[in-house]
Amino acid sequence: MRETRLWSWHLLVIPIIIVLLGLHFAIMHYAPVFYGVSVEEARNFETMIERGKSVSQLVLYILLLAAALYHGLYGLRGIIRELPMTPALGKIVDITVICVGLFIFAFGTYVTWWTFSYPVGG
Amino acid sequence: MSDKTTTPREITFRVRRFDPDVDTAPHWSEYRQHVHDGMTVLEALHQLKAEQEPTLSWRSSCRMGVCGSCGMFVNDLPQLACQTQVLHLGTDVVTIAPLPNYDNVKDLVPDLAPLIEKHAAVKPYIIYLDQIEIDSPTGEFIQTPDQREEFSQFTHCIKCGLCLAACPTVATDPLFLGPQALAQAYRYTADNRDCGMKERISAIDIFHGPYQCHLAGACSQACPKGVDPAFGIQLLKRALVLDSIGFGKKKPSVAKIMPLADVVKAIEEFAPPPRTV
Repeated sequence: MRETRLWSWHLLVIPIIIVLLGLHFAIMHYAPVFYGVSVEEARNFETMIERGKSVSQLVLYILLLAAALYHGLYGLRGIIRELPMTPALGKIVDITVICVGLFIFAFGTYVTWWTFSYPVGG
Repeated sequence: MSDKTTTPREITFRVRRFDPDVDTAPHWSEYRQHVHDGMTVLEALHQLKAEQEPTLSWRSSCRMGVCGSCGMFVNDLPQLACQTQVLHLGTDVVTIAPLPNYDNVKDLVPDLAPLIEKHAAVKPYIIYLDQIEIDSPTGEFIQTPDQREEFSQFTHCIKCGLCLAACPTVATDPLFLGPQALAQAYRYTADNRDCGMKERISAIDIFHGPYQCHLAGACSQACPKGVDPAFGIQLLKRALVLDSIGFGKKKPSVAKIMPLADVVKAIEEFAPPPRTV
């Protein structure tokens, strides 16, 4: 893939992360302001499970996970590949970063889905 | 109190020496030499070679900042020896080393092969897709001053390689195309007679291309011709992004407007008057 597209996406996801991270903060850390419940209450297991059952929350966290992972791993790949290395080793770094990214995304999605489909009443 | 930048005096030159046939590692040698006002580092080296150290090697040619041969690391800055006046450096000890970020051939001679290879890789020439027109031109292209201004400063590059020596990214990533090649890629891409972006993409739209630039700006500071390659890299990024979303230049923005016959007529029309003596 052209580096320009990878780099452009790296920048384009920044506003997406800012918006989604803002929503995350509103839900997790400013619950007393936005939801009228205490922070402790917002963070306890039952409340989280209950919140995790909303489709919007599912979409929000999967999108945030994808955007943050892409942005972070693109930067990490840039740092690693700037070290002196052969083009073949550079390719290995690229593939490793993609695999790590996919694994973390799959794991994060599984956890989010697990919360979403957690049976009511435990 | 005397002005250190104009007062003729004895200056110590610390020169990094390396002869691959004799030395296993570079070493420093010191020479004392009288320097007069206006004397350049290159002149000082010539005098040193003539009077004290006949084996000292460096590369130079025009002595007037045009050929770009005499790039050296003078007092820890990449500079052209022919454009750097010794007294203007303002120090009693002047250190001279070969350009960093290049292999060292001998003494002050850097191996500029990477510079040339990277420059050639970006196809630094106008690419016009009509091969028949290239082989048998039927007319001339026109270029307005505004169109020329788009890339004008980048045509001043003399391939001295100082920008690569100054670049912190090249220092850590030798595969980085570097400011010289990337600015030249922009220079030709921005030319209204060129439509070679497609052919250059495989060379420039890569990891070691413009996105590796750390925006240090050291290249622009080092350039002895006042070119701003760091700005060229940013302009190249913009051109690449526009191209990637389908807004790139598809064909030259001008057509041939003056058939060759008219060009000849125009030249005759504006020819100087016949000689009278």
